[in-house]
Amino acid sequence: MRLDHGLMLMEGQKQQLNCSSRTRRNLVLRLAALAVVILLALPSSAAKFTTSLDRDRILLGETVTLTLSIEGATPTSMPQLPAIPGLQVAGGMTYGTSSSIGADGKAHTVTTFSVPLAATQTGEFQIPGFQLELAGQKLSSAPLRLTVLAEDASGPPAEFGQRAAFLWLVLPKKEFYIGETFVPELRLYVRPGVRNIGGFEPPTLQGEGLTASRWVSGGNYSRRVGDRQFTVVPMTCAATAVKTGPLKTGNLTASVVLNPPDVFERMWGRRADTEQVPLTLPPQDFRVLPLPANNVPPNFTGAVGNYTLNVAAGPTNVATGDPITIKVQISGRGTLSALTLPPNEWDGFKSYPPTAKTETTDALGIQGTKTFEQVVSAESVSIKEIPPLAFSFFDPEAKQYQTLIQPAFPLTVRPGGATVVPVIAANTTNPDAPQPPAQDIVHIKPRPGTLAQVSPPLIQQPWFIAAQTVPLLAWLVALAYRKRADSLAANPRLHRQRQVAQIIRAGLRELQRHADANDSDAFFATLVRLLQEQLGERLDCPASAITEAVIDEKLRPRGLAESSCAELHHLFQTCNLARYAPIKSSQQLAALVPRFETVVRELQNLKA
Amino acid sequence: MIIRLKSFLPVLWLAVGTLATSVTAADTAQRFDTANKLYEERKFPEAAAAYEAMLTSGTTSPAVYFNLGNARFKSGEIGRAIVAYRQAAQLTPRDPDIKANVQFARNQVQGPTLRPSRLQRAFGLLSLNEWTGLTAGALWLTFLMLAVMQLRPVLRASLRNVTLIAGGVTLFLGVCLLATVQLNTGRDLAVVTARDVLIRNGPLDESQTSFTANDGAELRVLDRKDDWLQVTDGTRRVGWLKRSEVGTL
Repeated sequence: MRLDHGLMLMEGQKQQLNCSSRTRRNLVLRLAALAVVILLALPSSAAKFTTSLDRDRILLGETVTLTLSIEGATPTSMPQLPAIPGLQVAGGMTYGTSSSIGADGKAHTVTTFSVPLAATQTGEFQIPGFQLELAGQKLSSAPLRLTVLAEDASGPPAEFGQRAAFLWLVLPKKEFYIGETFVPELRLYVRPGVRNIGGFEPPTLQGEGLTASRWVSGGNYSRRVGDRQFTVVPMTCAATAVKTGPLKTGNLTASVVLNPPDVFERMWGRRADTEQVPLTLPPQDFRVLPLPANNVPPNFTGAVGNYTLNVAAGPTNVATGDPITIKVQISGRGTLSALTLPPNEWDGFKSYPPTAKTETTDALGIQGTKTFEQVVSAESVSIKEIPPLAFSFFDPEAKQYQTLIQPAFPLTVRPGGATVVPVIAANTTNPDAPQPPAQDIVHIKPRPGTLAQVSPPLIQQPWFIAAQTVPLLAWLVALAYRKRADSLAANPRLHRQRQVAQIIRAGLRELQRHADANDSDAFFATLVRLLQEQLGERLDCPASAITEAVIDEKLRPRGLAESSCAELHHLFQTCNLARYAPIKSSQQLAALVPRFETVVRELQNLKA
Repeated sequence: MIIRLKSFLPVLWLAVGTLATSVTAADTAQRFDTANKLYEERKFPEAAAAYEAMLTSGTTSPAVYFNLGNARFKSGEIGRAIVAYRQAAQLTPRDPDIKANVQFARNQVQGPTLRPSRLQRAFGLLSLNEWTGLTAGALWLTFLMLAVMQLRPVLRASLRNVTLIAGGVTLFLGVCLLATVQLNTGRDLAVVTARDVLIRNGPLDESQTSFTANDGAELRVLDRKDDWLQVTDGTRRVGWLKRSEVGTL
């Protein structure tokens, strides 16, 4: 049945399908609307067009969603949707856009159109590639395959229908080849009546000799188990067998909370119908076969899957030494990341390390294109062709090796010496233009530069860390100095005490100097001044007001020792006598200094 | 006579030291040229060994690491080349040649690998020592201005705003320094240096394979146990591999 002849609007999954002219008109209207939306909504930029199905295996009566993804393009004509025999539109079209900033810093906008489809009969369906004219070029999507079954032979047994929730693992087959990538499906079945689920972390698919990617969720659907209709939460991953022999998947254990309470329900206690269900799934057996040892192509490098080869080379009219870029695109399904550039003998060419880029078109990353760019340069004018290129892989579906051959490209090589290198205008007018991809690494440096001893970074060197405390200490010292200055400013007596102590220290040195010089007048003048300063500070009165009388009037009542009072008297009297009978001996003057020091210490200890 | 000799000792030491330094520098330059010659003769493994010997002797420069990376790359050792390039980039992060070659080498890596984030690229514009020097300079400036404000109260009003700005800059640079230490020092980064390394679910030879990493794949180290490293490729895939199968910066 053709899509444009047999599609009809489905009211729901349970509604039976039939064909009528009214539904055909609906389909045409929907497709026209789809085209108009695409025409109006899409921005003009680089074009990329892909299609996908949310499942590739359904039961008769179930729906599958066909998604058209268009990345940055302005179509100039209505997309020609191909006929899909045996499939009908089963619901309204949904439309959405998403924007993201790519690694190149540019915005990428993807527009998706989703159409639910339903099958009217069982069998294998091939959805042909879609044709779309975008940005002046015609793009087509890859064909898709859909299997419609009458019943789910790989589904759980009917007695599982009594469970509230359970896990079920579906392997697409029981025998794989080593290196073959396949897609296991992990299904979480949830009983009817469950509004929502929570606390479910899909268990990692493990097993000896098995590598698997993380699970990717698909769209939920309904499926009958026993006499109950369950909601199925499907997840798929990409798995690859890396060891031969009979193998098993690991135990899968998880848990799920049915009807988990929301924020408000948590405040008032758990819901009555909240239920935590443990989920366990026993191991599943499968067998991994080695690749056939017969008829192995000579250039086979281990690729397993189903691929096509597309090779382009240019320019093909070059001078010797000119770079020729050979672009090898390997498209298909398999472990794309493990694909390597087909080996080739570049006799007569200088070859550079190739670059590789992988673009996947599905969520699991197993379908897409890997592009290699190999730069070579002809070293002789005798070279007439770029050698043929062959890529071999093992096709697990066909169970045999396949070899794809790209014939040789004719090549014209001119002598390179006399060729004038053309000036590329774009490079002079647009310095911001993207540079062409590098074809080799930058050559080694001729000079060693500044040599240094291997040492840990500064931040790990103790001396450097210790040095960082210097400004902190400087600030702390300055802070202490400021506090001290403030403190002295607020306490005049303390200030004077410190000043006098300083004067005494300087005065003692002065006395010693006068004694050494035998300068009696200066010595006694200094001694009197120092005595007045010290006594004035202790008695909190001006130094000029100090006379010998204060000893008996003020110091003795304050508790100054008798011997100290006597010593003070002696010093004052000696000073008075010296005015009239100067002492000539330097030793005599020097002998007074320690006595003065002793008295001063006594005075400083006296309570002010 | 002895006194006269003693007075000449410092000068003698200085002369001997200068002579030794110049001899060492000349010797290093000679070894560098020898290694370069091996490279030009396309004896890449021998050239790599010569560069390695220079580094082992304790002499380093970005150019030595860079040339070592080139020799490794030409020897087909992409992982070891990336390690060398990144070590060169740690010393001179803005060298366009290093950036070009590390990018070129990364483009050759197949399979899962970590790519530096925007944040890592931003903090990688300066080397760790440059970030450290800037932060230390700002710290010194801030505290010295605080000290001046204490010692010269009349300058407080005029210095307050400048000090606040210097403090803010210090804080910002300190955060950048910490982020650089966390993101770019390579302590938690491992580069696969062997072909088709099996990443296992546990730190045992008997553990099942989680995924495969190719030569040059950059992985983040999550944990260490004996001779094993727990790594992730930036997605949710986590596994263990032997230390001998990776290179670290």
